[in-house]
Parts: sequence; C-alpha cells; structure tokens
Amino acid sequence: MSTVELHNLSVRAGSTTLISDVSLDVEAGTWCTIIGPNGAGKTTLVETAAGLRRPWKGSVSISGEPVGSMSERERAKRVALVPQHPTVPAGMSVRDYVALGRTAYHGLLRAPSALDRRTVDTVLTRLSLEEFSHRDVFTLSGGERQRMVLARALAQSTMVMVLDEPITGLDLRHQITILELLQKEVHECGLTVLATLHDLTLAGQFADRLVLLDHGRVVLDGPSDEVVRSEELEACYGMRLRVVDVDGADVVIPVRH
Amino acid sequence: MALVTIVTLAALAAAVVCGLVIGPTPIGAARVLGDVVSHLGLGRSTLTPLQSTIIWQLRAPRMVLGLLAGAMLAVAGATYQGVFRNPLADPYLLGVAAGAGLGATVAIVDLGGGLNTPSWTPLLAFGGAMVAVVVTWVIGGRGLRSSTSTLILAGVAVAALFTSSQTFLLQQSSPNSIARVYIWLLGSLASASWSSVELVLPYVLVCVVICVAAGQALDVMSVGEDESRSLGLPVRRVRLIVIAASSLGTAAIVSAVGLIGFVGIIVPHIVRLLVGTSYRRILPISVAFGAAFLVFADTIARTVMAPSELPLGVVTAIVGAPVFVIVLSLRRQMVT
Repeated sequence: MSTVELHNLSVRAGSTTLISDVSLDVEAGTWCTIIGPNGAGKTTLVETAAGLRRPWKGSVSISGEPVGSMSERERAKRVALVPQHPTVPAGMSVRDYVALGRTAYHGLLRAPSALDRRTVDTVLTRLSLEEFSHRDVFTLSGGERQRMVLARALAQSTMVMVLDEPITGLDLRHQITILELLQKEVHECGLTVLATLHDLTLAGQFADRLVLLDHGRVVLDGPSDEVVRSEELEACYGMRLRVVDVDGADVVIPVRH
Repeated sequence: MALVTIVTLAALAAAVVCGLVIGPTPIGAARVLGDVVSHLGLGRSTLTPLQSTIIWQLRAPRMVLGLLAGAMLAVAGATYQGVFRNPLADPYLLGVAAGAGLGATVAIVDLGGGLNTPSWTPLLAFGGAMVAVVVTWVIGGRGLRSSTSTLILAGVAVAALFTSSQTFLLQQSSPNSIARVYIWLLGSLASASWSSVELVLPYVLVCVVICVAAGQALDVMSVGEDESRSLGLPVRRVRLIVIAASSLGTAAIVSAVGLIGFVGIIVPHIVRLLVGTSYRRILPISVAFGAAFLVFADTIARTVMAPSELPLGVVTAIVGAPVFVIVLSLRRQMVT
C-alpha cells in the first residue's frame, strides 16, 4: 500500500514551472530519496509533499487522503518535516524544542498531556539527547542540533517523514549517524521516508529507491543500485561518474575531465 | 521564574500603593489604606471628604488607567515581537500611533463640523488607529497570504501617509492647537477618570487575555512560518487573531491616554532578560511588569515638577532606559 502518492503533480512559482507532471508512489515503511542537480526541484517537491506548497496541478495524498484538504493540525499528525535549514531559536531548551513536535496533539491552549511528555522523553532517549535536554539549543554542535531536529520530527509520531537535505553541513560520522537513526526508524517502526540528498553514495546506500529529478521532471525512478549506475545520472549531472563496489556497497565517484 | 513572579507582583502592589498615596496633597499611607479597607466594610475612614475625593476621583482612576495602559502596551509589544519575530517591533508597528495621532489632530485642530471638542479626541484617535491598522492589513495583502515583512512595510507606508497628513493639518492650524496636539502626542494620564477606565476596560481585558493565551502559539512560531505550519500551527489564523487583539487593545489605550512610547518595546525586553525566551512566561510577566512600570513612571511624572507634570512618554524613556541597561548588564554578569 502506498503511503505517499503524488499524482500528476505540477508546481509553479509565478510563471515559472518548478515541478512538471510528477507522479510518485512511496510504499509504507520504505525509504525513497530524490536526487538530482541543483535547481532540479527536489526541495519544491518534498515541500509540496509535506503540504507547505500548493500544487498548481495534480494532487498529493497521504494514506489516501488529499493533503490539501487537511487542516495544519491533521497534517502534522500524518507527515513530519525536517527542513534543510531549520530555525533554531536561541534561548529554548532542547526538551522544549523537541516538545514542539507535540503541538498538533495538545493544541495551543492546553498544556502537554502525560502522553506528550512521555513521547518526548522516549524520543530524547532514542536519539541519545537526554543529557542535553536542558541545554540551550544554541549551544549544540551541528550534529547534535540535527539530531534534535530529527527528534522533533519523530515526536510528531507520524507515519511519514519528509527530509530536505538532512545531512547538510555535517561531518562524515554525523552524516552516517543521522542516516542510520533514520534507517532504524524505517526498519523497526515502519516509518515511510521521502528525502532529498546530494550525496549520491549515501543516497544509494540508505534508500530503497532513488528518484532522479531534473528540471522538475522525473528522469529515472528505480532501485538504488540501478539508478546510481545509470547513464541518465551522468547525463543529468553533465559529468562522468564511476561506481565502485566497496564491501558490497556502491560508492559513486565523480571523474574529472 | 518563581522569584521573578514574586518580585513583579510585589512591584505591582507597591505601584498601586504609590499611585494612591503619593501626590501633591500629602495624605499618609496608613490613612489611605485605612480608607481603602473601610470601603470593604472594615473599620472607619479617617480621611476628610476632600481627601477622599482626591483619592477616589483623581488618584484611583489615574492609577487604574495606568495599570491598564502599561499592561496592554507591554503585552502588545511582546506579542508583536513574537508574531513578527522582530525585536524592534512595538505596538505602534502597523500604524496605530500614526492613525491615532491623525485622529486626535482632527479632533483638536478646528476643522469645523463641531469635532474640536475634548469628547471627540478619544473617539477619533481610536477610529484613526483602527483605520490605519485595517488599511495596513489590506495593503499588506490582507495579511493572511502575505509575509510578515510585507505587513511591516505596509505599516511603514501607512504610518508615513497618516503622519504627513497630520503634519499638514498642524501646519494649517493655530499655535495653540499645535501645543495641544503636541501634549497629546507625548501621552498623559492627567485626564483619567472612571468613565475613561470604563471605556477601555472591556477592550483591555479581552485583548490581554487573548494575547496571554497566545503564548504557546508564539513559542511555536519562533521556528518560522513554514516550520510552524508543519508542526500543526494554523499560522495565518493565529497571526490574524493576535495582531487584531494587540492592535485593538493598543488603539483603545492610545485613545484614552495618548501616545506613550518605550513601554511596548522595552518592558518585553526587560522581562525576556529576566525569564528567558518563552512567550508562555514573557507575556503574563509583561502584563504585571508593564502595569507596575507605567504607574511608577506616572507617579514620577506628576510629582517631580508638581504642580506641573512631566510628559509621561519622556519619563518612561528616562526611567526605562537605565532599568534596561542595568538588567542587561546583570544578565551578562550572570551568563559570564
């Protein structure tokens, strides 16, 4: 069963078409990553899937229900977003920040319930953030901060998570840490992930499926190992790519002319 | 937080006592308090009828109006800063001051039509303030679809239009009218009466409650509009309600006491330094702090140069700036 369905989706900004006639079904409990060069429309696509942009044509559905007809609160219970450049408000504690993920459950006039507090505690523990829970979010390192943003998204207790370049600016170890945490949620909790990534090697290693996007259109859609070895990938990036098998994992290496 | 709450409430109680006891006619604090208690049916008042009139018809309405004005301006300023995510935002951001200024000028300057009577000043000031905010909202793309920066720019444009219209009217008017408008612009509680308290009380109560209730929403909004929406916050609806409440309350206050500057911008910052960045704490403390602050400032304004009065806006700035600097340096010392 598909959890996220994009049906003939087109998105425009003014008179510019950013996404053109994209159809995509993401199965429940799988990880789909959108790849493509800068300006391909990756961010626009995932933001539309998360309900933050209105489609010009076509529709987005989560578990069969159109995202456009949901209230913000209903939507926040179904799809969580990890933005590319999350806003981190100075002075807020890590715990309070993660607790923002429960807003849709307790509303704006009621205090968080026992379940809300328990969920936040569980997420903090799962992402090894308990020791930072009372620290100011601004004092965290880049890796810790990204873990905290992921924790906020997990606190939303959604079946779908949309992530836009979740490992931007992180060192190698923290990149892997974040992606492994996410993979664990997919395998153990059945989370459905729709993400964008620039790193083709990591995209191929972590996603079940890759969708290659260029100029707002889907160029190729298939299993990760097939997409990273495709000619279309080289054509989209306009350069030669070599794929090397390292201990069973595909490593994509750009070849300089 | 608990200590700040206790200190603020103590300051509020002290402000109430100061507002009733201190004045050009010396009346002992114990006798004033005895009179207050006698109104509750306990004991007998020792005040003369004249002293009782001074307390209940002059000082008490002035003190209550000061509490309402300080509370409203402070909470509106804090709310604006949260909604616009802009530390320089104050309750006059969307043209309330310019609109009220133009309305008051129309009332004070003789344009004919019987508008230049004192009773028209608050009405036209209130009307001008609300017209300015509504025009800003419409120009700014009805605020729902537009970004907050569009709304701020629309506010700047509307304020410029209303202010220049006011300047034109002043240029055409007599020196006496200019002086009266100038006094109004500086803000004062001198004309406070129970009827002016009754007039603004419903607006202030409702608007303060709405603003304080918005604390949780403003905390969510601190992560930006898109992220707030993804967390389940109906950002545009919240923004509309909160701005409407802040503007309406501010317009009501401005119509009664004129333009009192500094309270709406500086009190929320002082409170933020004391209690942190959560609006769930900033907003209620701002209500109490702003109320106490304005009554203290008014006590200074009406006693330092008695029998004449200092403009309240001048006192709020002179008192507020050092308080802010002291709190800022204390905070820095605590952090380091």
